[in-house]
Amino acid sequence: MRYYESLYIVNPNYENDRLDEVMKMVADKLGEYKFSIINHRSWGKKRLAYSIEKHKYGSFILLHFETESVGNLNRFERFMVLQKQILRNQTICLDTKPEMKTEEKQVNESTVNEEKESTTKRTKDVTEDVTEDVTEDVTEDVTEDVTEDVTEQTEEVRE
Amino acid sequence: MAFQSRKKFCYFKENGMTEIDYKDVKLLRRFVTDQGKIMPRRITGTSAKMHRKLVRAIKQARNIALMPYTNTSTES
Repeated sequence: MRYYESLYIVNPNYENDRLDEVMKMVADKLGEYKFSIINHRSWGKKRLAYSIEKHKYGSFILLHFETESVGNLNRFERFMVLQKQILRNQTICLDTKPEMKTEEKQVNESTVNEEKESTTKRTKDVTEDVTEDVTEDVTEDVTEDVTEDVTEQTEEVRE
Repeated sequence: MAFQSRKKFCYFKENGMTEIDYKDVKLLRRFVTDQGKIMPRRITGTSAKMHRKLVRAIKQARNIALMPYTNTSTES
């Protein structure tokens, strides 16, 4: 068996549902050619080093699969080139079997959530501190002003 | 006054790397000039074997728009 890695760029305007549709379409085609998929995951939206079809960003999708038929591989590459949604694709041959990365996504999501929570906590703390400082300053200023006014009035009254 | 040049070494050999991934753009950028040109191995000190792999990885990264072919100031 030979292992291949295909990285393809999908139109950045495609959101989650449409991106999933494109991924499903590619997966169906792989099934048609009897390629066995090892990994098929989104690599995120990235800025392109140069613009492709006037797009500055692109959604990268990473695909690992294994097959023995080289003829079908050429057909698959032809299919990828003909798709309008796919801006660019590149398939390379791997020496070793790629690792399955099914759990990583969940771990990443959980870490992202934790990070978000921590950042929101930090912002809350910061806002609380800032409001406390501001209120303290304001009260000090107000009290100073009031005392100054009162002393002035008393002096006037004495005169 | 004798000019002492720093001794060159192969980055990949030092770090025990045998394969170069074209998706690792951060690493590949070390071996490319500001313009985007591949630096010669007489400057980087990379071994001949790894330089061949490096060149292939950079070209693959360029093809999939992870790295620029040229990086001129006029391009934004």
